[in-house]
Amino acid sequence: MIAALRSGVAGGRLSGLLLVALPVALLIWLVLWPVLQAIVGTVYFPGTGFSTASYAYFFTDAYSLRNLWLTLWVTALTSVLRVAVAMPIALYLRFRSGPVAALVQALALFPMFVPSVLVAYAFIRVLGPNGIVDTILVALHLPKLASPYLTPAGPIIGLVWDGLPLTLLLLLSGLGRVSIASVDAARDLGAGSFTLFTRIILPRIQSSIIVTLAFNVLGLFSAFTLPFLLGPASPEMMGPYMQRTFSDNADPLNATTQAVITFAFCAAFGLIYVRAIAKGRKAPA
Amino acid sequence: MTDLATLPPSGALQAQQKRVRRRAPVDWTGFAFLIGLAVVILLPLVVTAVWAFAEVWRFPAILPQRVGLGYWQETLSRQDVWQALWLSLRITTTVTVISAVICFPAAYAFARLDFPGRNMLFLAFLSVQAFPKFGLIIATATIFLTLNLIGTFWGVVLIQLVGTLLYMIWIPVSAFQGVDRRLEEAARDVGAGPMRVFWSITLPQALPTLAAAILITFVNTFYETDAAWLIGLPNVRTMPMVMIAFINNALEVQYGAVLFVFLWVPSFLLMLAARRVMGADAFAKGLGG
Repeated sequence: MIAALRSGVAGGRLSGLLLVALPVALLIWLVLWPVLQAIVGTVYFPGTGFSTASYAYFFTDAYSLRNLWLTLWVTALTSVLRVAVAMPIALYLRFRSGPVAALVQALALFPMFVPSVLVAYAFIRVLGPNGIVDTILVALHLPKLASPYLTPAGPIIGLVWDGLPLTLLLLLSGLGRVSIASVDAARDLGAGSFTLFTRIILPRIQSSIIVTLAFNVLGLFSAFTLPFLLGPASPEMMGPYMQRTFSDNADPLNATTQAVITFAFCAAFGLIYVRAIAKGRKAPA
Repeated sequence: MTDLATLPPSGALQAQQKRVRRRAPVDWTGFAFLIGLAVVILLPLVVTAVWAFAEVWRFPAILPQRVGLGYWQETLSRQDVWQALWLSLRITTTVTVISAVICFPAAYAFARLDFPGRNMLFLAFLSVQAFPKFGLIIATATIFLTLNLIGTFWGVVLIQLVGTLLYMIWIPVSAFQGVDRRLEEAARDVGAGPMRVFWSITLPQALPTLAAAILITFVNTFYETDAAWLIGLPNVRTMPMVMIAFINNALEVQYGAVLFVFLWVPSFLLMLAARRVMGADAFAKGLGG
């Protein structure tokens, strides 16, 4: 670092490369190389040559397909629910200030500080069998509800809860681009709330919504902890399925095949997300 | 010239403002959100906290039949809890220290030096975000299998270290960019050497953000579950693994609740401190908002 300063910009070339060398090497060794290895290693086998047998197995195996289907719809529904829940809060926070708004924001961001293992534990105490919701229902002489614990609804509720803060922050930063003046102007001309939202606000935050959805899909598609602890054992989401294939069945080939399939399904979203961040945050000139 | 007589008496304006403010409509929407969020966000945490102090709480009573610290004693005298806590602290400290040592100089280079491939390498760290995380862990685990790193301390350290790279580089980069160059130049003008400038001017200005990055990394690594699970088990049982065992084996409801309170409160305070320094938007910006 010091040598770089002394040698000025021109001489900093080598020092710069040296300073970033270690993290870059780690990135290549533990991210890019494994991805490449996973893709190549599932289709090319030294000695026997090319084979797509593990993919053929996945796409003909009824259980694998059921897991994939569950993952797809849980991911889609959860992403949409997160945006649907966060959007009204984001709109409110964008156009309101004051102590109540500050409290609303603090509460909505709170799950950011609760690790997902703890979310799972708290969830079971609330919505699990004989949880506090059941307790309250019984106290009110109402019938118990079917518990979402160990059904697909379990991870969905848990994941919406867990993902609310980041979804909200992403939408809020998008809404920052909507000027209050334009909203006021439209309102003066007699636009109702719905028109205001669909004609003025939505077009301006379209890209933010797409980025938010992409970010959510990436996180949800291979979510592990919450689906494992709160979801059904069969069919299971791709995260728990990969873990079981790798650890319990000691079958790295099929686990890696499943991983590559999740990469493929998420590739488009990964691209959208990474391009959006790269655009917003180039290294300084 | 302004006719003084036509001006309102001093204080009148403030009174007017106060009246306007008082007339502002009550924020009913806000209250509705507040009540909804309080129930959805806080209820699970409050219920868990009550469980931690409940010695007897039989369904369907609304409140525990007996409260006390009995389960605290029982949980905190379990050997597996202390072993896991000690192990987690060792892993987390190792990851955080190595991450800071290799990432902060890199962040400085990205922020301040010009070298070939800088932009491309900087954005390369984003590639971690382009893959579904657990798939990536599986791919890495396959490599670890051939290196005999599964179920080892260093296996867990390595995989968690990779997870910290992006934030430990991106957050400090903005810190180093935010340093006032004029101060550095002024110091150099009055004769300070480059080393002196770095230690006395650059570092102190970047320090709060660097500290926040370290805090966030520490807390997130401590609670990291996915990678620790796949790479660490069965030999390396970190704190979240013990928590999961308490959830799955349902020994006593209270064990989990006690750990929840015992672990979560300190981490929450650390994160609050980090956020105070960084502000919420920095989190969002890092995520592409």
